[in-house]
Amino acid sequence: MIVYDHLTKIFGEGQDAVTALEDVTFTIEKGEIVIFLGPSGCGKTTTLRLTNRLESITRGTIEVNGQNVMDMDAVQLRRQMGYVIQDIGLFPNKTIAENIAVVPKLLGWPKDKIQDRVQELLTMVRLDPDIYQNRYPAELSGGQQQRVGVARGLAADPEILLMDEPFGAIDPINREQIQDEFLKLQEKLKKTIAFVSHDIHEAIKMGDKIALFEKGRLVQYERPEVLLTQPKNKYVSDFVGADRALKVLGIIKVKDVYNPKPKNVVQSSDIAQTVLNAMDRRQGQFSIVLDQGKPIGYVTRKLLKYEEGPVKELVEAFPIHLRERTPTRDALSFMLMYDFTNLCVVDANHNFLGTVTYNDIQTKIKQSYTSEVEQEGV
Amino acid sequence: MDTLNFIIKNIDHVLFLTWEHIYMVGISLVIATLIGVPLGIIITKNENLAKKVINSANIMMTVPSIALFGLMLPVLAVIGQGLGKVPAIIALILYSQLPIIRNTYVAIKNVPPSIRNAGKGMGMNRWELLKEVEIPIAVPVIVAGLRTAAVMNIGIAAIAAYVGAGGLGVYIQNGIDRVYPEMILAGALLVSIFAILVDAAMALVEKVLTPTGIQIQQRLSQ
Repeated sequence: MIVYDHLTKIFGEGQDAVTALEDVTFTIEKGEIVIFLGPSGCGKTTTLRLTNRLESITRGTIEVNGQNVMDMDAVQLRRQMGYVIQDIGLFPNKTIAENIAVVPKLLGWPKDKIQDRVQELLTMVRLDPDIYQNRYPAELSGGQQQRVGVARGLAADPEILLMDEPFGAIDPINREQIQDEFLKLQEKLKKTIAFVSHDIHEAIKMGDKIALFEKGRLVQYERPEVLLTQPKNKYVSDFVGADRALKVLGIIKVKDVYNPKPKNVVQSSDIAQTVLNAMDRRQGQFSIVLDQGKPIGYVTRKLLKYEEGPVKELVEAFPIHLRERTPTRDALSFMLMYDFTNLCVVDANHNFLGTVTYNDIQTKIKQSYTSEVEQEGV
Repeated sequence: MDTLNFIIKNIDHVLFLTWEHIYMVGISLVIATLIGVPLGIIITKNENLAKKVINSANIMMTVPSIALFGLMLPVLAVIGQGLGKVPAIIALILYSQLPIIRNTYVAIKNVPPSIRNAGKGMGMNRWELLKEVEIPIAVPVIVAGLRTAAVMNIGIAAIAAYVGAGGLGVYIQNGIDRVYPEMILAGALLVSIFAILVDAAMALVEKVLTPTGIQIQQRLSQ
């Protein structure tokens, strides 16, 4: 846990004094990723650099796990925190393994423990240790180098990770991939992470919470969906963008909206005419066919008309199935692409979990905005 | 051909003078390195001092060597060393300071800020950063400075023959006095060959001392 309490940073003195950070107070809970977001010069990087005392605090305090950082030895403090930066800053004279081993070596770990840890970390960031550990940074691509940068930050298994635009210098395709990998890693590692970014998309994707800065002040500190649906003022709504409703779709996952007990489900052994009658009764056009709890496809009135026997033989397959983790943005995109208003959600074993419709998504979005209106009314 | 004959005929003396030359250049380079490299590193932490130190070294460089020997003569005469190898070695040390200090300073300063920032942020103290990262990265440029100094000093040491320091300059000086072209040429030729050999040797040293990772980086960036 990191507690920022009335933090102020002034660079320079007298006439040249520039206030980089003014009275900032917020808390990063254990195991959370908090994104420090804002345009350049807003104080986000300064806040990060104050955390490991790369800059000195003018006023206020920072507490890490209950201990004031100013009471700690700066070098010891930094060794307790992982540090990953945009320019990566791998040491070109050291091999990949030696680069990762920097902090463990400073901490005086025994050699074989360091060796094991290097292997473990390289595997974790998906670089084959046998191929990469003895190479030099210059031989790696930018994306690979940043993977090593992340591994180096995690080397001594610090509880806290400070990341300064870590994926900023990587091309968009690799960035998406490395972000996804990092999130997967974080699910396991549960580090407390302070993450500087100027990219709202990255912030929404990566952040458990977002701290939005403007000119040295903390404007809003909220979960991404709240920031999007309930921006505090014009600056925030401008920053998150006019398409913020669409961005919400990226955060809301299928698991948040799906209907686990849809009415239009039939079994594969059901007889065509029975199903057709049932559809007539509820005026449905479309039924999902399950076979031993797995969706095998759908039937429509048109398909069933004049048919006899079980529906099993009449089904059309779905073009795609959704998973619980699929963002509703993707679900909506599939619906538009395949001209389907009703898609199935399945688990890893292809078992049927429920369905998602346009309506389900719309209702959920409406909900988030209703709470906004209510709040404004208060 | 006559020059070659001269060298062959006087081979013992030639070797002796060559040894004196190596001795002067070698010992002065070692001492100059021990002074210049640490000084070059220290001044990276203090811009004001850096300017002063580099300017002083620059001024030293502009004093002609003959004049420098003249200036040192009365001072060193006090301890009875006005002539001979002592003034020569002192002059060589002074002249080497500029390339050594300047290259060291520039090399350390040019270590990318991101690397320094990463090292500091991970909890390296100043000494660890210097030893583990900054100096290894700076090595090629520092050694290039030593190489310049060494080659330059071979030339200056030839002039030191005028203050009785010995070395291959003796042939040049005596040859001029005696209007003996073979002798002058022998001296000039040997000094030149010596300089070329040292230059090649220092290039090899540079290569050996440059960390593998830096060599790969240099090769790939070409």
